Amino acid sequence: MMEFFIDPNRCIGCQSCVQACSECDTHKGHSMIHLEYVDRATSVQTAPVVCMHCDQPTCAEVCPADAIKRTADGVVQTARKPRCIACSNCVLACPFGVPEVKVELKMMMKCDMCYDRTSVGKKPMCATVCPSQALFFGTREQLEQLRPRSTPVNQFQFGAQTITTKVNMLVPKTGKAEYIYVTAALNETTIGKEITLNILQEAYD
Amino acid sequence: MNLPIESIKAACWGTLVTIALAILIVFGSRNLAHFDAALVAYTFATLFAVFGITYRYAMWLQRPPTAMYFKRGWQVFMRPQHILRNVGVWFARVTQDFAFNTFIFKRGKTRWGAHWLIMWGCLIAIAITFPLVFGWVHFETLPGDMNWYRAYVFGFPIFSFPIHSLFGFMVFHGLVWAAILVIAGVMIAMRRRMRDHGAAAVQQFGEDILPLVLLFAISVTGLMLTASYTWMKGYAFDFLAILHALTVIFTLLWLPFGKFFHIFQRPAQLGVAFYQDVGEREAQAHCRRCNEPYASQMHVNDLIEVERQLGFRYELQNEAEHYQRICPRCRRSLLAIAQGRLWHG
Amino acid sequence: MATLPNQLDSITQRYGPHLTFNTGVRLATGVEPDKVVKTHCCFCGQQCGIQLKVKDNQVIGFEPWEDFPFNQGMLCPKGVKRYLQGAHPDRLTTALERDEKAAAGFRPLGYDTAIQRVASEIQRIQSTYGNEAFGILSGASLTIEKAYLMGKFARVALKTPNIDYNGRLCMVSAAAGNKKAFGIDRAANPWADMLSSEVIWIAGANVAECAPITTNYVWQARERGAKIIVVDPRITPIARTCDLFLPIKPGRDIALFNGILHLMIENDWLDHEFINNHSVGFDALAKHVKQWTPRHTAEATGITERAIRQAAEMWGQAKSSFLLHARGIEHHSHGVQNVLGAINIVLASGRIGRDGCGYATITGQGNGQGGREHGQKCDQLPGARDITNPEHRAYIAGVWGIDEKEMPGAGVDAYELIRKIERGEIKGLLSLCFNPVVSLPDNEYVARMLDKLEFYCVIDFFLNESAYHADIVLPGSLHEEDEGIVTQIEGRVIKINKAIDPPGEAKQDWRIIQDISKAMGRERGFTFTEPREILDELRVASKGGIADYSGITYEKIEAQGGVFWPCPDNDHKGTERLFEPNSWNPIAKGAGPFYFPDGKARFNVAPYTPPTEDTDDEYPLMLTTGRVVSQFLSGTQTRRIGPLVNQYPEPRIELHPQLAEKLGIKDGDWATAETRRGAITLQASVVTTIRPDTIFIPYHWPGRKSANRLTIAAQDPISKIPEYKVCAVKLRKSEAPTND
Repeated sequence: MMEFFIDPNRCIGCQSCVQACSECDTHKGHSMIHLEYVDRATSVQTAPVVCMHCDQPTCAEVCPADAIKRTADGVVQTARKPRCIACSNCVLACPFGVPEVKVELKMMMKCDMCYDRTSVGKKPMCATVCPSQALFFGTREQLEQLRPRSTPVNQFQFGAQTITTKVNMLVPKTGKAEYIYVTAALNETTIGKEITLNILQEAYD
Repeated sequence: MNLPIESIKAACWGTLVTIALAILIVFGSRNLAHFDAALVAYTFATLFAVFGITYRYAMWLQRPPTAMYFKRGWQVFMRPQHILRNVGVWFARVTQDFAFNTFIFKRGKTRWGAHWLIMWGCLIAIAITFPLVFGWVHFETLPGDMNWYRAYVFGFPIFSFPIHSLFGFMVFHGLVWAAILVIAGVMIAMRRRMRDHGAAAVQQFGEDILPLVLLFAISVTGLMLTASYTWMKGYAFDFLAILHALTVIFTLLWLPFGKFFHIFQRPAQLGVAFYQDVGEREAQAHCRRCNEPYASQMHVNDLIEVERQLGFRYELQNEAEHYQRICPRCRRSLLAIAQGRLWHG
Repeated sequence: MATLPNQLDSITQRYGPHLTFNTGVRLATGVEPDKVVKTHCCFCGQQCGIQLKVKDNQVIGFEPWEDFPFNQGMLCPKGVKRYLQGAHPDRLTTALERDEKAAAGFRPLGYDTAIQRVASEIQRIQSTYGNEAFGILSGASLTIEKAYLMGKFARVALKTPNIDYNGRLCMVSAAAGNKKAFGIDRAANPWADMLSSEVIWIAGANVAECAPITTNYVWQARERGAKIIVVDPRITPIARTCDLFLPIKPGRDIALFNGILHLMIENDWLDHEFINNHSVGFDALAKHVKQWTPRHTAEATGITERAIRQAAEMWGQAKSSFLLHARGIEHHSHGVQNVLGAINIVLASGRIGRDGCGYATITGQGNGQGGREHGQKCDQLPGARDITNPEHRAYIAGVWGIDEKEMPGAGVDAYELIRKIERGEIKGLLSLCFNPVVSLPDNEYVARMLDKLEFYCVIDFFLNESAYHADIVLPGSLHEEDEGIVTQIEGRVIKINKAIDPPGEAKQDWRIIQDISKAMGRERGFTFTEPREILDELRVASKGGIADYSGITYEKIEAQGGVFWPCPDNDHKGTERLFEPNSWNPIAKGAGPFYFPDGKARFNVAPYTPPTEDTDDEYPLMLTTGRVVSQFLSGTQTRRIGPLVNQYPEPRIELHPQLAEKLGIKDGDWATAETRRGAITLQASVVTTIRPDTIFIPYHWPGRKSANRLTIAAQDPISKIPEYKVCAVKLRKSEAPTND
């Protein structure tokens, strides 16, 4: 069985996923993936975010219109069009910041893992094109073979709330992390190399 | 058997509204004087549908988020300083959203065409059939002039018109026009559902195809009835009448469960719009990480309360207090940072 | 004769760039395509496989091609949106003639009339001023069939030596360096060889933005334990999380390579067996790099001694490695020396010619590799032959059926060709697949030179900015309107398949060239009826040359998912990896794996020289230029694709906050960058990801947004590549510019 594995650490911010997302037939013309600089002033680090497809989706629970449904195979669908009243509860409640409300259309839209593709055994558009394979869609066996130093987790901690998801995120095997403690990063800044003042000076130390 | 309190409440509401309708039928038809006994099956199906719809609506309203926004929607609508403006805006929005479906137009022209035709077809049909079935409306020829009809509502005479006028023709064939609108709409919708790859991936028979089939069946059997008595001297009329009744009754019974329930949910859109209007005018919530405004303070507070009621525990033990006070954009960044730390800690 | 009138606004109004988005049939979700064509992306040298969906002779979308081995479905944003270049409102569907009185500067002209006019102008100029007074500028995004035909057209139909191509701005330093060191110019290894490397050294290559698919190879290697070293003045996305980042001062790469070699020698991190048996020239080089102590290297490069030592240790002690470089080290007035420096540390390690041990330049243009092999270069004949070599001349003259004496000799490089206009030596010019007023350095000078021409003909599918100066514009073909082969980044020859027909009177470029030949009465040798026939002739022409394509056919490419050249006969599968121990090549003839008579690789002393224009009090900063991921080269195509433009709408000046503070510039402020050539005003992007002494501007835009108004036309003495990557600049805060 193919699954979604994400390694934002690999992301190069090229926006292929964003450009390709709008080519999918379930949301053609609308890109549902998020890709942003974490803080461009200090880093080129980027955060690619697709729907994590929670086992118990907060978005669905807080939906006053009962418009968000999870399929039997665990995919949290975009809001049912006849029901969604564009209240933005899901936008504000999603712990991963995924859904978007299209105000003009009076409806919410979100990543549905390219249901037109994945429901017939194809990969989602974003993961197919992703040049860094920060977005990877494949089997656990393929993952094991291609990413010997990575291991998937699908639990995320937000304060006292644990969220379990269908989509996996890759963490280092050596770290033995069982979950990603998202809110522990509240005061952290971008990650990566820096060019500091002392480059020039240190040469003459 | 232990029924949850919500169900009991909802059942009470359902019973209450159903009884109210029954009383209205008796009263409106002048103690069933104008009630057509042949339509009794329709009436009972309607009563069942009303119970079901009310039950489901009441259940729905008791969900924490729905309850919150139902209450809030009315509160903000009724605020004395906004009420006049709100009433004006209400009319504008009802026209735009409900009469013209402008938001659906923006989603797609064929989608809009289908919905608008089906919606108006159904509305016309409902406006004609229900009052007739309940005996709320009936027609009598004017005493002394067989060429004029008088319409009675709840037994009171309202207006008269010549039978062989264009107006008369339009009124007596109202269901024909409704059926044509519905059939046209269903055709457009079915064509889209058969061709569109996106729709094909997510549609379900019960949720998306069955309603179209039912509407089509009602309309076609109805038209066949008309054809039968107009041109074919009533050929197979009884059979067609039963067939038509079956399609209608099935639809009525199915009404509380399927896609058509959105007709009753959808007006909540208006409440949400007023909630958002007021939210925009009042204090904004600023993200506790980036300090940018991202939603109304009211909305964030309400959502925190809803999440508490639902049993979520997004509270934080630091100055941010609650994860809900972090904006969606920062949440996305935090995920990348938290994962990145594990690699480059 | 052609002068750019005050009609710029009306020209751009009529001919764009306008933006296309996916609308209409391209947005519909219920359309079944008539066919799905397996082909490749039209942009960079990676040539990713892609499938184009076609409906009613229009490309309406794409589907990833997951079975193509190089990219396995992966695409960068340019590849994803490439399909929007077709059915474009700016598309030229007729020939145009310069007309001062016409509303938009040009008037449509019947195709045959236009061809006649081009032919008679060429003949007039050549009969008045001599054959060499007509020049040709060609391009490395053309298929090999077209590139080959352009070289033949210049030498056989026009009998002019003056043809050169825009690979001159791109691949030539690497090519020259490779030929000097290895005797052959091609990526030594397929990319898959990277996966088992212990160390990957990336020098002057913004992999994430310029060769995005290569990222996956690098990360894949990292998963298997590879350490990544990145050398760049900016923290590019691939540098952000690398193991060792060396923020080098622009233009100092050779100093770094010499310094690394110094430490390799000092610590004896050398492969003596390889050096002794498979190379020559090491001793002289060792003597030369003695001066490159870590201290000296640090002073020259602006990198800390500690980081230099770390890099040397990582590289020196590795058991396997892959070195990649790109324009960052090549776009210099000493670009060839930089390349040789890089090759020296590879050869000294002996890590080449095996799985996990490799070296390559990341070729830039679509056919960057194939386009530099078959004779559109000023000094070259097909098969990577030398136009000054009598044997080579005789062989090709034979293939072409001409007298060897009639064949012109070596011409001059593309920039010198422009200078020849100034000197009155070139009076007429034909350009194809080249937009010199955006892509050449000091481009206001270039524009003035184009105006000096008596006749200028441009072949293109859009009215590019150089074509504003043209007398005749001929409507050429888009990538998806023709077929042919190209050679991608790894040396893999692949096939471009035709998806649609050219619209209106537009024609495949090779047909246009043949029509001109015919109109000039020189159609002998230009009567091909399809690209396959051109390839067949090229296979003969390249036979026995270093770039031997004689065993390559469309069918073999399709069957194998590409064929790596050299492929000297029909039964040959192609050569994935060069320099394998005991491999045979036509130069060494078994003496060794390298392409010299003794089969040995060459170490080359690569002396350090600073950039041509160093900083001074008046121009105290360094300017470096490059690409962004959503745009390609001079932007003729990508500036017309809406989603790509929206991704990065305007060029910005990147500068470090420390510098910004000194100049009083805040993020988003307008700032003017000025060099001795010109000045442009753009918005500032204040970021800590660049050296404080350097500013960066991407180069894809024309006119007042053109980075190449600033760059210097200094060139490498060997490769003639311009020094795009460094010149002296000053920067000041300014106001938003008013229109030109």
